[in-house]
Amino acid sequence: MEDGEHNDNGGGSGHNVVDIYPLSRYYFSSKDAIPEKDDSLADRIQRLKASYAAHGLRTCVEGVLLVLGVHLPFLWGLMVELFQHPHVLLLQVKNSFFKLPGGRLRPGESDIEGLKRKLSRKLSLDESCVNDEWQVDECIGIWWRSEFETLPFPYLPPNTHRPKECAKLFLVRLPRNRQFVVPKNLKLLAVPLCQIHDNSKTYGPIISGIPHLLSKFYFNTIHD
Amino acid sequence: MGVLPVVNTYPLSSYTFGTKEPKMEKDTSVADRLARMKVNYMKEGMRTSVEAILLVQEHNHPHILLLQIGNTFCKLPGGRLKPGENEIEGLKRKLSSKLAANSPSHQPNWQVGECVAVWWRPNFETVMYPYCPPHITKPKECKKLFLVHLSEREYFAVPKNLKLLAVPLFELYDNVQRYGPVISTIPQQLSRFQFNMVNA
Repeated sequence: MEDGEHNDNGGGSGHNVVDIYPLSRYYFSSKDAIPEKDDSLADRIQRLKASYAAHGLRTCVEGVLLVLGVHLPFLWGLMVELFQHPHVLLLQVKNSFFKLPGGRLRPGESDIEGLKRKLSRKLSLDESCVNDEWQVDECIGIWWRSEFETLPFPYLPPNTHRPKECAKLFLVRLPRNRQFVVPKNLKLLAVPLCQIHDNSKTYGPIISGIPHLLSKFYFNTIHD
Repeated sequence: MGVLPVVNTYPLSSYTFGTKEPKMEKDTSVADRLARMKVNYMKEGMRTSVEAILLVQEHNHPHILLLQIGNTFCKLPGGRLKPGENEIEGLKRKLSSKLAANSPSHQPNWQVGECVAVWWRPNFETVMYPYCPPHITKPKECKKLFLVHLSEREYFAVPKNLKLLAVPLFELYDNVQRYGPVISTIPQQLSRFQFNMVNA
């Protein structure tokens, strides 16, 4: 996609290069539904508050998994390579609400262990994640909530001494092919970066901010 | 992965600010700027520009140093690389041009850290994106933002026609109207760093 003139991002350092593979390399099937814990937003807030009272700061870890997809906004008769673009894997709940694969850490659990556990639970047949080799890379962003009802911010809001929630986003490098097994009640979608960019209305501030967190990476697009 | 990268930030009062001769903008309007960009593109190809994120702390909250031109327009210190120029060397050159005293014995110790954001300009227009849009094969500009670590004490000389401001992250976040899309999204890009707020 890029012409020969520009340098790779990040001053050429290797660890900012991410290989991404076409969506066609990945297989999707389903498994038993994992019921949502709450029937309503109000229920959810209640549950989170009770959990905070018992365990303190709620730390969540979420995975940003990328594939190479084809984005065709127009019906142009041009070569398909021109429109390849990184896509993020999102889970859609009840045909409306979008979220990243991930969830809350257990007390004492490390970020990486917790994320691997959550990824296997949502995306693999075997939830024990013993055989899953998730390659969790660096933390790309952290969001803080001073209350469960309020918006998240990418810094500890001034005068917040006891934040309620901290959500850490990690880049996860996918292998060249993989089978994703998704609970029946969730849809796994590959959404192009250009569609989530600045689209807080549909995806919320955390997901819509992902392109900003990824901009420093050079995506080495491996075509079929 | 397990440990977050640390950035030491010192209070604004830790730094001394003087002035130097004005550094006028090369263009007097957006239209002029885009026209000059086009001329340069024809001669040299895609423009690469580098900009610095310099941080201080006040009240235990990180602040970014911005240069204000006139009454409203704010920008990060930085600018266009010369053809073939190394990014790090170019950024130091721009930082010294905008913020260092002219005497060679008073050069700040610019410690250029990692690149935290890259922006792409697809056409000779003002709009930029944090990715190269899918149908664009010849972007006109690539802009890279680098975190630059400051020592505890430095002397900065600011051109008389510019004001140097320290703006808190909470003021920049989501404030596209005032600061534009590049500066207003820096808080997200810095969120993964752990700020060691050193007090006076």
